[in-house]
Amino acid sequence: MLSIKDLHAEVDKKSILKGVNLEIKPGEMHAIMGRNGSGKSTLSNVITGRENYSATKGSLELNNESILDWTPEKRSLEGIFMSFQYPVVIPGVNNTYFLKAALNAKRKYYGEKELDSAGFLKVIKENLKELDMDTKFLQRPVNQGFSGGEKKRNEILQMLTLEPKLAILDETDSGLDIDALKIIAEGVNNYRSPDRSFLVITHYQRLLKYIKPDFIHVLIDGKIVKSGGKELALELEEKGYNWLDS
Amino acid sequence: MKSLDFQNEFEKIINRDYFSKEILPLRKKAFDKFSEVGLPNKKLEDWRFTNLNHFLKSSYVLSELEHGDPSNIDLSQFAIPNTNTLVFVNGHFKKELSDTIDGVKLLSSQEYLELKNGSFQYPSECPFELLNTSFMDSGISIILEENQVIEKPIRFLFIASAKEKLMVSPKIHIDCNPNSSLTFIEHKVGYSDDFFINTSINCFLDEGSSLNHINIQSDSQKAVNINKVYVKQSRDSQYTFFHLTLESQLSRLDIKNDLNGEGAECSLNGLSLSSKNEQLGSHILTNHYSPNCLSSQNFKNILHEKSSGIFNGKTVVHQDAQKTDSKQSNKNLILSNNALMNSNPQLEIYADDVKCSHGSTTGALDEDAIFYLRSRGLSLINAQKLLMEGFAVELFDVIKDDSIKTFIINKFEKWLTENN
Repeated sequence: MLSIKDLHAEVDKKSILKGVNLEIKPGEMHAIMGRNGSGKSTLSNVITGRENYSATKGSLELNNESILDWTPEKRSLEGIFMSFQYPVVIPGVNNTYFLKAALNAKRKYYGEKELDSAGFLKVIKENLKELDMDTKFLQRPVNQGFSGGEKKRNEILQMLTLEPKLAILDETDSGLDIDALKIIAEGVNNYRSPDRSFLVITHYQRLLKYIKPDFIHVLIDGKIVKSGGKELALELEEKGYNWLDS
Repeated sequence: MKSLDFQNEFEKIINRDYFSKEILPLRKKAFDKFSEVGLPNKKLEDWRFTNLNHFLKSSYVLSELEHGDPSNIDLSQFAIPNTNTLVFVNGHFKKELSDTIDGVKLLSSQEYLELKNGSFQYPSECPFELLNTSFMDSGISIILEENQVIEKPIRFLFIASAKEKLMVSPKIHIDCNPNSSLTFIEHKVGYSDDFFINTSINCFLDEGSSLNHINIQSDSQKAVNINKVYVKQSRDSQYTFFHLTLESQLSRLDIKNDLNGEGAECSLNGLSLSSKNEQLGSHILTNHYSPNCLSSQNFKNILHEKSSGIFNGKTVVHQDAQKTDSKQSNKNLILSNNALMNSNPQLEIYADDVKCSHGSTTGALDEDAIFYLRSRGLSLINAQKLLMEGFAVELFDVIKDDSIKTFIINKFEKWLTENN
């Protein structure tokens, strides 16, 4: 599904990623762990096509097609989704309006009929229920006045609604209390299927108690220095990252 | 049009036989005063940011009777459902195109003047107000009787459409007697190339009355639109103002609102949308003279290309106005490196027990928000549009009438689509 080869990237002329290799197949869940500043968020921003994050070398492919020249919206429409570490507040735009616009942009892209309000509400109500969210969320401006946990839930709500093929969860556990974490983890786990993949970015092992990645990679100074199965997370929890420093 | 050039036009107007002679002394007095003070210039604090170059270079002539011919105008494009409309074509009232409004007292300027014993009772020192009085043409005044509640909004539709560069000077009075209420729409449209419309609207709100005043201005891109609004409010009266302006070479709104009775409330709101080299300015003055009054000023500009905007807002809380609650906000979105916004929020407080806030922000669209929306599949253009809608939407909430609100939102949406 997603194939990253020798990817180098810089932000504001500063080199951050220094040769990342990663292969994510359909149905797999990969986790990337690493300290602050190791390049985890840069990687997710490069994958989603944020401006000022430019790949300088290497390749980034979705289903064997290079996506480096794609706009962020094309990447989204083709099935890449990122749950933001810091979801953005959009004053004046209510959540329903935004979600409906996003879902209909996708439906239009695939030649499907756009949903009217009633059709949309049906979809969204299911998803709200799954995340134990009140319908009042829909009437509020996007992320405005939301608590940390509400913002993250709102991100997962968007994921369930837009049905991406590859979901990147960027520090989704930060700012969550344990109950919210469980609900979100359950939402993510229920969303797993043989044709959907995940890239989970975190620097704590905490989240990985509730969602079980197939592979764990350690990113240090812009490179993946170690990969392994779930047991690697426990090892990191115990030993920290220092033993991996070269 | 320079000060001296108005002399010729003034000779013409005082010799017109279809205007009443009773108004003549008032015109002469105002014009004498105008000749003395002349047009404003940038040395005056209040005119510091207003660029009159385009106006000074153009020559405007009085609108003659034949300019009131509406035959080539399709009125349906300006329709707002569920309103009673009076139509003015180039400054001439067109009865045959207007709705008949039963049960509402509508007076000509002369009749109004008789009612007021020969003088208009409001300050008239501003040069453009003096010009308006000198040249006033399409003047109709609305008098609401005590306890009269007008359900259906009344709209004055001013259409500018001529080959010549015309000047038109509407003068309007709205007297709301105690406990009366009205929604009044001042709707200006123009498809002439260049013209000059200089409006003076004066509203007197007696005890317990309420007036919703909507001002929609979508003129040609060369039009000069000067708009003076004076509001005097008595005890427990409510005045709500909403201003939408787009497409004028120069548009200047001057509001002076005197809160002159305990418990009076006013809410002044405006959205200015500018592109090309348009210049749209709002100059707002709220005077709190009495205790326990509530006021708000909420003005926003969205500026494209080389356009410029002005917010010159001032709230003065006078000594007796204890327990005043006033808010003032000016927010602006700049969409181009060449656009310019002058924001000057001011607050003067002479009372000691008041609650006042004011603030101003000017900036570009939030890049993080744009990326967020694009990462959800919205195109760049749609993401920008959504953010601009979100920016403006709170202003539309002050419009209670659904037909008017829909009309205004559609205008805004159309502008967004054309300027994206």
